[in-house]
Amino acid sequence: MNRKINSEKAFHRFAFVVLLIFAVICILPILLIVIASFTDEHVLLAEGYRFLPAQMSTMAYNYLWKQSDMMVRAYGVSILVTAAGTILSIILSTLFAYPLSRKDFKYRNFFSFFVFFTMLFSGGIVPSYMMWSRFFHMKDTIWALVVPTYLMSAFNVLLIRNFYSNNVPDALVEAARIDGASEFTIFGRVMLPLSVPVIATVALFTGLSYWNDWINGLYYINDPALYSIQNLLIRLMNNIQYLNSGAAAGALSGGMTALPSASVRMAIAVIGVIPVVLAYPFLQKYLIRGTVIGAVKG
Amino acid sequence: MKRKSLLTIGMAAVLMLSAAGCGKNPADTAGEQPAGNAKKTESTDNAEDTGSSGDVQGEYTKIVYSYWTMDRIPDEDARESVEEAINEITREKIGVEVELMPLAASEQAQKVSLAMASGEQLDIFNTVGDLNTYIANNQVYDITDLVHEYAQGAVDQVSEEFLKTTMKDGKIYAIPADKGIALAANLYYRKDIAEELKLDMDSVKGIEDLTPIYEKVAQAHPEMSALAGGAGGLEMIHTLKDFEVDYLTDSWSKPMGAVLMGDSMTVENLYASEEFKGRVELMRDWYQKGYILKDSATTTASCQETVAAGKAFSFIGNQAGNYGVQEASSMCGYEMGYIRLSQPYLDTTSVNSVTWAVSSQCKTPEKALEFLNLTYTDADVVNLIVFGLENRDYVKVSDREMVFPEGLDANTVPYTAQFSCGVVGSQFKQLVHEGTPEDNNDLMYKENHESKISPAFGFTFDSTPVKTEYTAVTNVINQYLPGLVWGSIDPATELPKFLDALKEAGMDEIIAAKQEQLDAWAAQ
Amino acid sequence: MTSSVQKKRARKKNITYMLFLLPGLVYLVINNYIPMMGVFIAFKNIDYAKGIFKSDWIGLQNFRFLFKTRDALIMTRNTLLYNLVFIVAGTVFAIFVAILLCELGEKLSARIFQSALILPYLLSWVIISYIVFAFLSSDTGYLNKAVLEPAGKSFVNWYGEPFYWIFILIFVFLWKSTGYQSIVYMANIAGIDSSIKEAARIDGANKLQEIRYVVLPLLKPTVVVMTLMAIGRIFYSDFGLFFQVPMDSGALYPVTQTVDTYVYRGLMKLNDIGMASAAGLYQSVVGFVLVLLSNLAVKRADPDNALF
Repeated sequence: MNRKINSEKAFHRFAFVVLLIFAVICILPILLIVIASFTDEHVLLAEGYRFLPAQMSTMAYNYLWKQSDMMVRAYGVSILVTAAGTILSIILSTLFAYPLSRKDFKYRNFFSFFVFFTMLFSGGIVPSYMMWSRFFHMKDTIWALVVPTYLMSAFNVLLIRNFYSNNVPDALVEAARIDGASEFTIFGRVMLPLSVPVIATVALFTGLSYWNDWINGLYYINDPALYSIQNLLIRLMNNIQYLNSGAAAGALSGGMTALPSASVRMAIAVIGVIPVVLAYPFLQKYLIRGTVIGAVKG
Repeated sequence: MKRKSLLTIGMAAVLMLSAAGCGKNPADTAGEQPAGNAKKTESTDNAEDTGSSGDVQGEYTKIVYSYWTMDRIPDEDARESVEEAINEITREKIGVEVELMPLAASEQAQKVSLAMASGEQLDIFNTVGDLNTYIANNQVYDITDLVHEYAQGAVDQVSEEFLKTTMKDGKIYAIPADKGIALAANLYYRKDIAEELKLDMDSVKGIEDLTPIYEKVAQAHPEMSALAGGAGGLEMIHTLKDFEVDYLTDSWSKPMGAVLMGDSMTVENLYASEEFKGRVELMRDWYQKGYILKDSATTTASCQETVAAGKAFSFIGNQAGNYGVQEASSMCGYEMGYIRLSQPYLDTTSVNSVTWAVSSQCKTPEKALEFLNLTYTDADVVNLIVFGLENRDYVKVSDREMVFPEGLDANTVPYTAQFSCGVVGSQFKQLVHEGTPEDNNDLMYKENHESKISPAFGFTFDSTPVKTEYTAVTNVINQYLPGLVWGSIDPATELPKFLDALKEAGMDEIIAAKQEQLDAWAAQ
Repeated sequence: MTSSVQKKRARKKNITYMLFLLPGLVYLVINNYIPMMGVFIAFKNIDYAKGIFKSDWIGLQNFRFLFKTRDALIMTRNTLLYNLVFIVAGTVFAIFVAILLCELGEKLSARIFQSALILPYLLSWVIISYIVFAFLSSDTGYLNKAVLEPAGKSFVNWYGEPFYWIFILIFVFLWKSTGYQSIVYMANIAGIDSSIKEAARIDGANKLQEIRYVVLPLLKPTVVVMTLMAIGRIFYSDFGLFFQVPMDSGALYPVTQTVDTYVYRGLMKLNDIGMASAAGLYQSVVGFVLVLLSNLAVKRADPDNALF
């Protein structure tokens, strides 16, 4: 008995140490660019990237501050799109996954395949673009950031389906059925409450993919009022890369001074991540609460 | 805003319907342009849209003008106010209302293709890069019969001679942008160091003459590299223009290598030439002696940034005119001097790397050309597109110079496309940034027309038959060229490998195809 | 009599189930299935004046450029091998981390660790490429400037040495994705009935045995599904990882060239949607065949865990 407690303690300690190391490995590189964004431009190029630069500077942020109204608006778009997209996506996915998890559903294999198939094949951007922009007129509307591509991911649906069928005991569903509950009641009263952990997980995934998405914005949005924060960043970065690729050689004559410098680019990167870092603890709290509920009730 | 977009689509539909309806679609007469696609778009737009905006159109033709920009895309309000100012001119002059469609440089090619593939209205766009691809994909309108009637002013501005570069099989497909096209490889260097070390910069006539100078710099300033390469590409390659190299319409920044050299009309492999070998051996020598910035082949920092940080003495840049040195000085934070490393040599690509084309789906090519014509001839129109509204987006400090309003810059004014000054219409009609030397425009103009011209000037190569080989060769070039050009790989072992890889990827087929087309062109 | 009642009930239930599916079905048809018809573009020579529908058919010509090159072997090998390593190492690390995190439970430290581990996932590839550059740049990089130089070692031209990149790419991949992937497994571990663990403990199982005999078997279905899905995408590669992180450095092509980067590099210039479409179709078909085969194998061994 004693040995076992010891082994538990040892494992606990082991877990702590290993995770600590991993966490440091994850954070240090990010810290390096955060510091770079606060480093004086010339010092950065002269002495290289350092954790303790010779000269700090907030120049990069001052530069960005001048464009703060644009940033604030872009944050607004990102938050709205992420919230709306995540909620809609969760509704669609949890509904879709339910029948797929029921063994008495005759077509469960067919529809599992139906959803999985979408992961493998796509017709490319042109047909999708025609669909959303010409038939649904979504170009330059906020819907273009929410609806195309991300609303339902086969990956998430199958994840939820698996959770339903592996973690919700059939007996529970049967019992509810014998009590005369309809399928919708079973879904709402039994399934959903029991699957909070996976819903929280999927919400996090979906939220992240909405937050990090720039492709929809790239194709469907021309109006800068509807830029999300990622679109703002990616356009800046892309223009620099485009210039670097030499594709524009010969086209440019003058005006080069307006391009953001290395430390500004780092600052932009930092600004794009901060909201997620701030929001994450809240989501995580929910995640952990979710996992607790799952464990206790299950 | 949603209503606005419906309106746009509705108007597009009306235009298409009217073009298809009146039957006098000039596309019918243009040969390769079938009118059939009007039918397709007709059915995809629903009737409701067409009905709601039918009365808006009628008096004026709407033209969607897309252009390449590296600046911040303006907000809708700012853009509309500029559109309105342009329309005040164009309604009266040519009966056109224009919609501006600024596209971020990195996305432009993709967005133009996407809009065209899905049938959106987009009448005018610029082809930055390879015009032939656009011609091969049939994305550009054959304007042979229209250009002289509707855009003669633009033709006069760029010269009839230059129009040859946008021709294919006797048909004209685009109008080159009117800008300084006689690019020369210049060396920009720090004047303070040159003075400190008493370097005789005047003795430098070509890149080889730099070795003794770099030796002194390296001795006196071990903390910096003598030459920085960087973001912006393989500038060294352009010094090869000394040998009168005609890329035969391949990309400027990374030529495919099947070129003409000198007066010969035999296509040869640039990378197999002695001249190329000599240059890369020189670069390797410099690299090993520590003259070249080690990161040159991969860095993301621009040369100017590197110089500004005190890490380099000089860099090579390609510019027309003599404004480049001012700009280099302001970006580097040091006073810079410049010397020409090679003289401009004009081939087809020099001219047609930026051209203006009418979309092959355009329903009103005459009107589109008339508007294009204005961007070459009407200073007000072109300044509106490039710099926006006077006193809001910029302030005039003299007849020819502008600055941004007090407290604002290119990133904070409501509207600017100042980066596009060498892209939109005629650069010679535009205002210039304050401080640009007065003779800059004259010099550019003079060199445009007096520089040495390749014997194959006007020849364009259709790469469609060797598409597969192009993909493979591009990959090989990407793999070897940067390292060779900046000396970080050894030409003694890598150059033969490079040539073998090129051969394997189909270089010979490309050369053969070029030779065949070139012979046919020369025979005409 | 009874059987017909049962049949009727079963049919009614199936109809109810279909109602659950309806909203998702509508979306999938609009978003995925109708645009999927666009694969025909792969067999056309796109002529913009004619429009995509009326362009000429050219059979398999668009596919030629994928095979008629000496890079075909390199890019296929790289894509497949990296993906295999990613599937195996990614799963192992993700499960390992998930178990450790669950071990710490609800402690503050667990939350902090989890946040730290997921942080890299929040960064886009462009930003990650800057981070990597900050470490590896020859002239300004942390490794050369702050580690090798003080140690008296000569600098390494990282972006010119293909060999290192096999490990750098794998490391960067794990660095970015482990925290994220571990969430999937954490949700599953947390969902494990605590009474099962309790029972194992009473039976005298120590921690490792508990993991071996209780936790891992319960994770099996998730692992199988995740792996099958990954196999479906085995011919795709993460463009950002293979293109942006190595800064498109030519010297590294032998170890960074994948199907996606090859297509991008080749087509950037040609802007040919027909060829792009052909490449996508080729990747899909290979993935599809592989996933059908592996699903079949799973079905044989363990029918409950098959994907469909």
